Amino acid sequence: MRPQLSPLSQSLAAKVILSTLLLSLAVVWLTGSALYTQLSDGIKKVSLESSLADARSVFFSAQYQLLLVDGKEDIEIKAAVDEIISTSINTGTTEGAREIILLKVFTKGETAKNGRQPNYSFASNGLLSSTIPQDLREEITKGDDLAHRFAPLTYRAGVTIDALYVGQRVTIPASGNYEMYLVFTLANQGATLELVQNSLFLTGVVLILLIALITYLVVRQVVRPVREAARVASLFTNGDFAQRLRVESNDEIATLGTAFNEMAASIEAQIGRLENLSKVQQRFVSDVSHELRTPLTTLRMASDVIYAQRDEFDPVIARSAELLIAQIDRFEKLLQELLEVSRFDAEVAVLEPTDFELTALVRRCVADLGVNLEGTDSQISITSPEYPVHIRADFRRVERIMRNLISNALDHADGKPIEIECVETGTDVAISVRDHGAGMEEASLTRVFDRFWRADPSRARTRGGTGLGLSIALEDARLHNGELDAWGAVGDGANFVLTLPRIAGNQIVARPLPVNPHRSRK
Amino acid sequence: MTLVMVVDDDQDLAEMLGIVLTGAGIDVDLVSRGDEVMDIFRNNPPDLVLLDVMLPGLDGVEVCKLIRAESMVPIVMLSAKGDTQDIVAGLEAGADDYMVKPFKHPSELIARIRTRLRRTNADLKDSLTIGDLAIDVTAHEVKRGTKLIALTRLEFDLLVALAKEPGRVFTRDALLSEVWGYRHSTDTRLVNVHVQRLRSKVEHDPENPRIVTTIRGVGYKAGVTDES
Repeated sequence: MRPQLSPLSQSLAAKVILSTLLLSLAVVWLTGSALYTQLSDGIKKVSLESSLADARSVFFSAQYQLLLVDGKEDIEIKAAVDEIISTSINTGTTEGAREIILLKVFTKGETAKNGRQPNYSFASNGLLSSTIPQDLREEITKGDDLAHRFAPLTYRAGVTIDALYVGQRVTIPASGNYEMYLVFTLANQGATLELVQNSLFLTGVVLILLIALITYLVVRQVVRPVREAARVASLFTNGDFAQRLRVESNDEIATLGTAFNEMAASIEAQIGRLENLSKVQQRFVSDVSHELRTPLTTLRMASDVIYAQRDEFDPVIARSAELLIAQIDRFEKLLQELLEVSRFDAEVAVLEPTDFELTALVRRCVADLGVNLEGTDSQISITSPEYPVHIRADFRRVERIMRNLISNALDHADGKPIEIECVETGTDVAISVRDHGAGMEEASLTRVFDRFWRADPSRARTRGGTGLGLSIALEDARLHNGELDAWGAVGDGANFVLTLPRIAGNQIVARPLPVNPHRSRK
Repeated sequence: MTLVMVVDDDQDLAEMLGIVLTGAGIDVDLVSRGDEVMDIFRNNPPDLVLLDVMLPGLDGVEVCKLIRAESMVPIVMLSAKGDTQDIVAGLEAGADDYMVKPFKHPSELIARIRTRLRRTNADLKDSLTIGDLAIDVTAHEVKRGTKLIALTRLEFDLLVALAKEPGRVFTRDALLSEVWGYRHSTDTRLVNVHVQRLRSKVEHDPENPRIVTTIRGVGYKAGVTDES
């Protein structure tokens, strides 16, 4: 399995989608702001123009009405002013609140208290004259033209809202000059702008989500075949050589798929060829071994019949019969081991575990091989626990390993003592076979388990080993999930340590015996 | 005189087997093809069949099944194939013994053939019981109540061996020498397969055997007699 990384570094799709999101966010933000600025400017402009037009018509109609009452009674003038005030507040094309302020322009020395003329000053909603921007007032008092300002409007209650002040000087007969102001509150315009802003924001969000979705769909189109290719490649790696990519289109992905499939086909063919070759070879070894068995059986029976009557022959023929029997034994052993090797090579060797007692097996192997000890002075000593050591393993194979190790030691001990030690832990068992013969060089240690390898080619074989024993012993140990290790030093003999899990197939937990006999035990 | 049918397509080996067996005082009938076995077998029934596995005409395992279908005669298989599945296939087909070529010594072959030919010892009691089974040794019969159970001679010998010493735990090696006549061998697969075959015939529930019980790590033992 792949290591668990952050999703971003793991997925191409996530990477692409994230960067697309960030970029489109920036673009939407920029266009949105520009659009908003333009829209709000436009709205303000339109609203200003309509307000000014409104004000102009109000002022014009006021001046006209006042002109009509010129020279009339005060009461009529007062009625005209009231009329002007009420129409100013109630009519108009722009929606929203409108205020009116009428301020008498006092001439020099004149005040509101001492004025002889009637004062028609008025402010709707009790607005104070101080709320009007000072510079606008000055402009109005000095000139005849209409003027306007944007400024906050403060009500007595303390509420302040943005507003447009439009003012002009009007003259009321028998009273004098007045500043007349129309105040348009901009609350409505603010609401419109807020609406625009909200819609822009919403559109932006929806747009970004849509872009993300589209990117995801597009990326998936590319990533899916890549993932599929990775999946198939990993199946291929695991040994399923029949796996192929589906090629459905004509694009670059299809090219990748075709190339991959060609590679896969080529690898499959190569492996098939090699497998076949190796199968043929294994089959050949196995067939040869089997085919040799029948004639060997005949040979053995014939030689046995001859051997049984050797007493009646002259000594030369009798000795020949003995040699014949001995060589047939050796031949048979070689054949058996060749067959075993071919089983390992073909990976058809099967473990047949049973429960048995180990120390008895070791003692029996030593006793069996001791029969053949004539001619050497080897002394085999066994150190093992006093209590029985039960293990679950393939009896035949463990016995074969022990026989191979012991006969190997006997071959190389040069008559010096051989020590066998058996040690157990709760999980593992270990048996060492140590001789004190000529030993071997370090370089030989790696080759000692090779087939038909001899430490010293010039050395005569006294016991007729086949050269396959240690190699088979190693395979037998491995089949149990065990280990077989060799140690040797020139002049100091050799040491072989077999370590087996107590239950065949388990992993080895502890190695109770070190392969180097001079190193202290764990 | 005893007659052994030797079925082997290798002329030289067959002749050699003939020489050795004749030397041991056994008559030999040589057959070289698998598909000729049954005719000769019916015309001149042998006391034992020595059967090669790889045969022209008809495979040894098939021949073994054909013989077993109509006779309890001891069958010893001879084969160059010594893998467990080969041995088990031969034994499952009904062979009593399985010898892998080349065998250690011709005397070993003779010993095994003699064991298979040996009549159940006359010095035994006439009748034995094991579990809820009654064994009539002389009549060579095994009965549960009144029901007769058909066993091959080897299966019968195996059952008798266990029944005659009810308290004893037999190791597989002990059974090999007792029933098969092996002097030294570690090939206990033979015992396992035959115990299973025997159980499939005599046990009420072969998964939970009461007549031939397993003593884990040691071997087999006759089940308790007084069970209901």
